[in-house]
Amino acid sequence: MRSPVTGWLFLAPTIAVLGIFGLLPFFYVAFVGFFDWNPFAANPGLVYAGVNNYRRLVFDDQFLRSIGLTLQFTFWVVLSELVIGYLLAQLFMRDFPLKGLFRTIHTLPLLVAPIAVGAAWRLLTVPGLGPVPFYLDRWFGIDFRLGSFENQAFLTTVIMDIWHWTPLVTLTLLAGLSAMPKEPFESAQVDGANRWQIFWHIMLPMLKPVLLTTVFIRLMDALRTVDEVWMLTGGGPGTATRYIGLHIWRVVFPQTDYGYGAAMSLLTLYLTIMLCWFLYVALVARKPRAS
Amino acid sequence: MKRRDLLSVAAAAALLSTTSFSAFADDAFWAKAAEPYQGVTIRGVSESTPSSNWAKDVIAKEFTEKTGIEIQFETTSWDQMYDKAIKDMEAGSGIYDFVYIEQDIIYSYLSRDFLVNITQALKDNPDLAAPNFDTSAFTTFADYFKGKDGDLYGVPMEAFLKTYLYRTDLFSDPDIKAQFKEKYGRDLAPATDHQQYREIAEFFTEYGQENDLQLWGTTVQASSGHPASFYEFVETIAPTFGVYNWGLNTENWAATVENGGTMNSDKAKAALSWWIGNLQYAPPESTSSTWDEVAASFSAGRAAQAFVYGENTAWIATDENKSTVVGNVGVALPPVEPGVMEEIEAGEGYIGYYDGGAFGIPHSSKNKEAALLFLQYVGQPEVQVDWAVNAARVTHTATYEDPRIQEQDEKTSGYYSLMRDEGKLFAGAPDFPFHGQLREAIAPFFYDAITGKLTPEEALDQAAARAEEELTRLGYRKS
Amino acid sequence: MKKKGILLPILIWCGMTVLTLLPIWWLFVVSMRTRVQLFGRPSLMLDGFYWGNYVEVLQNEEFRYYLWNSIVVASSNCLIVTVLALLATFALSRYKLAAEDSLFFWLITNRMAPAAVFLLPLFLLYTQVFRFGDYQLFDTRIGLILLYCVFNLPFAIWLMKGIMDGIPKELDEAAMIDGASTFEVLTKVILPLAKPGLAVTAILTWMFAWNEYLFAATLTSVEARTITTGLAEFVTVTGTNWGELAALSMLTLAPALVFLGFVQRHIVAGLTFGAVKE
Repeated sequence: MRSPVTGWLFLAPTIAVLGIFGLLPFFYVAFVGFFDWNPFAANPGLVYAGVNNYRRLVFDDQFLRSIGLTLQFTFWVVLSELVIGYLLAQLFMRDFPLKGLFRTIHTLPLLVAPIAVGAAWRLLTVPGLGPVPFYLDRWFGIDFRLGSFENQAFLTTVIMDIWHWTPLVTLTLLAGLSAMPKEPFESAQVDGANRWQIFWHIMLPMLKPVLLTTVFIRLMDALRTVDEVWMLTGGGPGTATRYIGLHIWRVVFPQTDYGYGAAMSLLTLYLTIMLCWFLYVALVARKPRAS
Repeated sequence: MKRRDLLSVAAAAALLSTTSFSAFADDAFWAKAAEPYQGVTIRGVSESTPSSNWAKDVIAKEFTEKTGIEIQFETTSWDQMYDKAIKDMEAGSGIYDFVYIEQDIIYSYLSRDFLVNITQALKDNPDLAAPNFDTSAFTTFADYFKGKDGDLYGVPMEAFLKTYLYRTDLFSDPDIKAQFKEKYGRDLAPATDHQQYREIAEFFTEYGQENDLQLWGTTVQASSGHPASFYEFVETIAPTFGVYNWGLNTENWAATVENGGTMNSDKAKAALSWWIGNLQYAPPESTSSTWDEVAASFSAGRAAQAFVYGENTAWIATDENKSTVVGNVGVALPPVEPGVMEEIEAGEGYIGYYDGGAFGIPHSSKNKEAALLFLQYVGQPEVQVDWAVNAARVTHTATYEDPRIQEQDEKTSGYYSLMRDEGKLFAGAPDFPFHGQLREAIAPFFYDAITGKLTPEEALDQAAARAEEELTRLGYRKS
Repeated sequence: MKKKGILLPILIWCGMTVLTLLPIWWLFVVSMRTRVQLFGRPSLMLDGFYWGNYVEVLQNEEFRYYLWNSIVVASSNCLIVTVLALLATFALSRYKLAAEDSLFFWLITNRMAPAAVFLLPLFLLYTQVFRFGDYQLFDTRIGLILLYCVFNLPFAIWLMKGIMDGIPKELDEAAMIDGASTFEVLTKVILPLAKPGLAVTAILTWMFAWNEYLFAATLTSVEARTITTGLAEFVTVTGTNWGELAALSMLTLAPALVFLGFVQRHIVAGLTFGAVKE
């Protein structure tokens, strides 16, 4: 009945845009990844290096550390945002006074540009300038110095990200929740299911498509965080918050190591895809049995 | 002393008369020289600093009025400025007709032959050579923009010294002086060596605690995630301990003592230990402080002494909207280890950083002639004084003699005369074509030294080893 | 659901509001202080209204122009992305296409790439490949608008795919039998039902475009500069101008709020509907 040609026509502009601005640069990066190329090396041109860049990556402590840090950061951030975002979305399902106002307030962080978010949090947390170190010291006797203590810096980037992106999770989950029919819940209650059972066997499977989309979007974005952290800590102290996006930025901008940076990006992209795919399979593969 | 003053007055008088005389002739020159380039728009990129903004808002507009050549002047952040200029020149796309060349990147650009030889270009196009543009009238800072042939590749537009600032109100307070004398057995005065500096830092930190003041003994530009901390060490601290050129041996690009470098020498280790040790007498924000935040801490009255980039000196000392220590700022040479001054006199070393930048023309530019006119416009004596008063930068010898500068000089406790008289003791960045590359490779070791993850000794040993590895990989060091 | 006490939501309400507003409030406080007032005063209270920072920023013709650029770029991008995503997800959801799953997955991977390294090829593309005489994509709004599709389209397609799948096929099949053209099905049947989802997609797309920094910083110069790159200009060697940076940050919130208010109507509608289910 429907001709695939019409379908392809609808897809054509999307494919064209992504092909030109996504795929072309990708091929270029893939090509550069096989060369040693630093415009300020003794030999500034492209020197064919085979897979040397990739070989070097496997033994690059800084790169591996950065990947590890990014994974930790992503794990905490996505998990916290899901939990908090879900609870808030549930809260929005109820009626309470000034709900509209609260929803607007809760969406505000999304409106702030990442670079301004980083600036705001820097202003909050730099000793002498911000209230956070001041009150932490006065009330709890905590010596809070973002530039000196790795754990504090890491934690602050995590909290900042949660602050910034939980509203996105709330918004999408709310869309999913409110689209749900009421009947299954009512009949489950009649059958005497407890709240946990209702959540696990009815709510979760129904929320799954939205949940998955949200998780993956946040996952992808958290893995490539740059602006906020760059403004807040610059990757420091030391390299404690030099997440992979920032690390790559340092390699290709100030260090102008284009060949190595290209290889690093491709490997990171590959790892990201694998991670998403793995999660996707793990989460979705159970679907046929569950439903 | 007297005689020199007399001479300079005479020189100023002579200069004034020539400039006023040539004003009309100059207008005619700019209009005539620019005739073939009507309708041309030149585009430039620079860092968003007061000097650049002045050039953009005032000088560029004047230039357009006189010549009819339009200017699109982009001012942006430090990282972006480099990144875009380098991409443009590397790719030869010809977006920019003039670029800001910071003092430390020029050797990288020269090694790639990115820049037009300005001296040569003026010789080749005598019609474009402005009568009042004289390459020999710049301060010695212009030497850092010359190639091996002695020709100029950039027209200096800003220059500053990184000096030692101290609080004159604290240093001259009789109570404080008496307390200090009692404790250390000598008079309180700006430090001339590191031991003294440390004692003063210790004294004021304790003084701040005892009197419940937000006051510490010194600033440290020790951001543990930003190259500013690396720069403070290699540019400002290490040379005063007798370690120059980042501790690299410029013959064979060695860094370790083993191979003939000095990066992990005893002197360097003493320097790093001293600098890290200063952190205990610095305000708590120091481990987040980059160049501007150090100036902010000092201007907020939170430190008794500081090493501050000169572009900040003028506003700290004079601008009441930004600074709480107006009128209380003293300027002095950085403290040095015994023996270092002798090395400098023998022409071997320097005691601090001569910071700044120039405008250059990339070979990829499509409007080189129009850009050349603008660069000369920026480099003429007539625009220098206003520029220096508003942005505290001095690149031209004509600047010092103007009465307005002398007025500023008094307000800043002699920053401008220090620049004129002692500028020769300071040096720009070493001529490394791999400046940014090496910095990025070894800066993390310094960050780790700041947080205490590595001891100063470990940090320097590892940094030196890493430096050699990186230089070998880049193909400079043969091993 | 059971009626619960009203106390708990109120408590959470207050707590969350304080936490959410704290950084923004602090930004506002900083924007209301002069530079000498900043240090050593971690008080969270406003200590007077100092409008100097706002005046300074608003008087700057360039920042006004950057703001306008941002509005144009974000809105155009948002429009293009939502339309393309609607068409693409309609195709993916309603047509049998070869290698459909792989295609869908490829579309999405476009958002995963670490941005920094792709700037070099994009720079070359913008300055040399798409160059016709004096015209080049570098420093043009259209260049940014198209580029932002690369990370916004995957997001929009993913979000819209779920919504599109949730609209029963029977509805458009019935319309087809009644003789509606494909275009009519799309505009008369699908669009009204997908509207709330589209609104959520639109607001998020718009925000991503509005807030983007790295691409804008590298691929624009003077003509097409956006406000986020203007923010970075305040971080300079001679003192980060925190007051003006905070003021500009607050100012960038305003258009975003207007846009949010504009779209929120549809989101709210979307959140209460939910009649359509498989």
